[in-house]
Amino acid sequence: MRKVTARWSLILALLFGVCLAAPSAPALAADPIVLGCPLSTAFLYGWDAERGIRLAVEEINAQGGVKVGNEKRPLAMEVIDTRDLEPGVPVSEALLGVEKLLLEKKADFIVGGPVRSEAALAAMPIVAKAQKISILTSGSLTPKYSEMVGQQPDKFKYLYRISGEAKWMVTGEIIPCLEQIGKKYNLDRLAIMVQDVAHARAGGAIIAKVMASKGWTVLEPEVYPTGATDFSMGLVKTKNEKAQVLLIWMDMPETSILLKQWNDMKVPALPFGSIIAAAEQPGFWAATEGKGEYCLANVVNAGNAPSQATPWTMKFVDAYQKKYGLEPEGYGASSSYMAVYVIKDAIERAGGLDPEKLVAAMKATDLMGVYGRIKFDPKTNQVIPSLDPNEGAVGTIFQWQAGKRIVVFPPKVATGEIMLPPWMTAGEKK
Amino acid sequence: MEILIYGIVNSVSLALMALGFTLVYGVSRLPNFAHGSLYVTTGFITWLLLQRLGVPYLVAMLISLVLIGVVGAAMYHFILVRIRGMSISEIIASYAIGLAILEGLRWGGLKGTTHTLPVFANGSVDILGVVVDYHRLLVILLGAILVGLLWVFVNRTRLGLALKGMAQDERAALTLGIDSDRMAVMSMALGGVMAGLAALVLLPLGNIVVEAGYHVLIMAVAVCIVGGLGSWTGAILAAFLIGFAQIFTVAWLGPHFQVVVALLAIILTLISRPSGLFGRQKELEERV
Repeated sequence: MRKVTARWSLILALLFGVCLAAPSAPALAADPIVLGCPLSTAFLYGWDAERGIRLAVEEINAQGGVKVGNEKRPLAMEVIDTRDLEPGVPVSEALLGVEKLLLEKKADFIVGGPVRSEAALAAMPIVAKAQKISILTSGSLTPKYSEMVGQQPDKFKYLYRISGEAKWMVTGEIIPCLEQIGKKYNLDRLAIMVQDVAHARAGGAIIAKVMASKGWTVLEPEVYPTGATDFSMGLVKTKNEKAQVLLIWMDMPETSILLKQWNDMKVPALPFGSIIAAAEQPGFWAATEGKGEYCLANVVNAGNAPSQATPWTMKFVDAYQKKYGLEPEGYGASSSYMAVYVIKDAIERAGGLDPEKLVAAMKATDLMGVYGRIKFDPKTNQVIPSLDPNEGAVGTIFQWQAGKRIVVFPPKVATGEIMLPPWMTAGEKK
Repeated sequence: MEILIYGIVNSVSLALMALGFTLVYGVSRLPNFAHGSLYVTTGFITWLLLQRLGVPYLVAMLISLVLIGVVGAAMYHFILVRIRGMSISEIIASYAIGLAILEGLRWGGLKGTTHTLPVFANGSVDILGVVVDYHRLLVILLGAILVGLLWVFVNRTRLGLALKGMAQDERAALTLGIDSDRMAVMSMALGGVMAGLAALVLLPLGNIVVEAGYHVLIMAVAVCIVGGLGSWTGAILAAFLIGFAQIFTVAWLGPHFQVVVALLAIILTLISRPSGLFGRQKELEERV
């Protein structure tokens, strides 16, 4: 009898303790705001986005959550693996993921993907119909996305993209950077290798056209299927045709094979990754035993490699490194992180989750973030890019030098100079 | 010249990928659709031993080959023996095992591009104006040695002759005291080791990714169908046919058509010569 009484006393004491503790965490008691994240989590542009979003969510929740009217509400993440970056997985898989997030998980916002351009485009009507704010943060670079928003602004007013898009990346960053390299080292012959996906084919074609118009000799772009593991014939062609810059636009992990082969064959052409998933990761150096040295890689937004673009940049890089044990990995990290802060900012200014008020608040966004000033184009809802972080969202192109990712473009955030591999300076430089 | 050199490298790589698959089918008539997963698993075990536990490279390779042989044998002994002779069930079960292994590896952290094995030799050599790295030359050499050793094993050792006997006529082999289940276990173990050897030779050229398992399976099936299921001579010849066809396609049509080559080869073979170049299965069935 005494034992039973003691047990009940313990249970009551615990319940009393829980009741006392509850008021000390009011934000966590409120209903969470659910961020639905359709991401291809087995791939770099999926898991880097997931990590970026999670980091921001934890930071915001640690500060009490998002202020909605008079209460503070925590953020919650619901991640669904859309598998859209995996070879052979149909777009419908990603669409099912988005629908599940909206209908079953009751997501208040869609953040992150779908990651593959084709899937992101296909998901547009679904998200718009649900009247939920969606922010694309990783993967999808196709200009078609913002063009479609611009063509039907009322229908797609809920859809935003906070990461870069291919047209600006090409005309505003890659081509100026190529010209800079050409001018500095007197190079003007370009080979192009792209992956057989929409954004890569389109990006490669635009670069070929523009560089040809600027007087460069451009070889016919080589299109590789997703999952290709041998690039020897393309590299032999690059060498035989005396190309001096090898432009690569591929988001598949096999690009590390391409760079190993490039080094083994000592191809005298500077590898320039407009998008090159393998080379973006900090672990790339060890994985290729340093064979990827001199490879340039575009990580779309500042913050995905260490630089001093804004006061927030290194804070983010350090926080990411502290939490995950390595620097931000791919081009979806900083933009996914910022998307959560943009949502927080919009909710607080809108004073709630009313879709129309949120749309107005999103359109009025003006936030100094990790990669510069975050503002959306009023017509296309695309983040406004710039080469100056005080004016807009700034990009980053880095080069692997002695085991480090050295930012070389744009000049306002650069921390070093572009270098050529020794087998180029030896005789191929004009 | 580059077509010749890289054609040989590509062909030997395909032969290495396919030999384990054709060995198992040749002996036990078991289509091992988990072949690709054994390939990736070997690479991953070696990577774990080498990079995480600091085991010397050679020792790590030997340990992983032994382990993958055990995995192959265990697959037969515990699962496949129960459905022996039911072709469709064998395909479904072995594919399911392979799928579980590959997706299990992904779930366990095998993702990204940072899982790699070191090449056996760094550097490259200029052969008549074509630069080839030492490791690719070693692929050709090791591939040739492996085929030679396999021939000696099958034709000059008691175990090899027993396996060959099983492949030729299981009933006759049984009457001579050869245990068919034991031989099937042996063939699965050997098939696993062959897949592992292919992985150890080929994976240093790229990275260890789950997708490689699916790719290797498709290529192995393509090579075996074109060569004739169970025929080792056919598999080697088919590897050279498909390997060179792929390189010609890349050189003349464009790299994005190279995947089509293997699949087209399967379709054309099934239409024109269903048993493959050296296979006799269909002919025997028709004769019966």
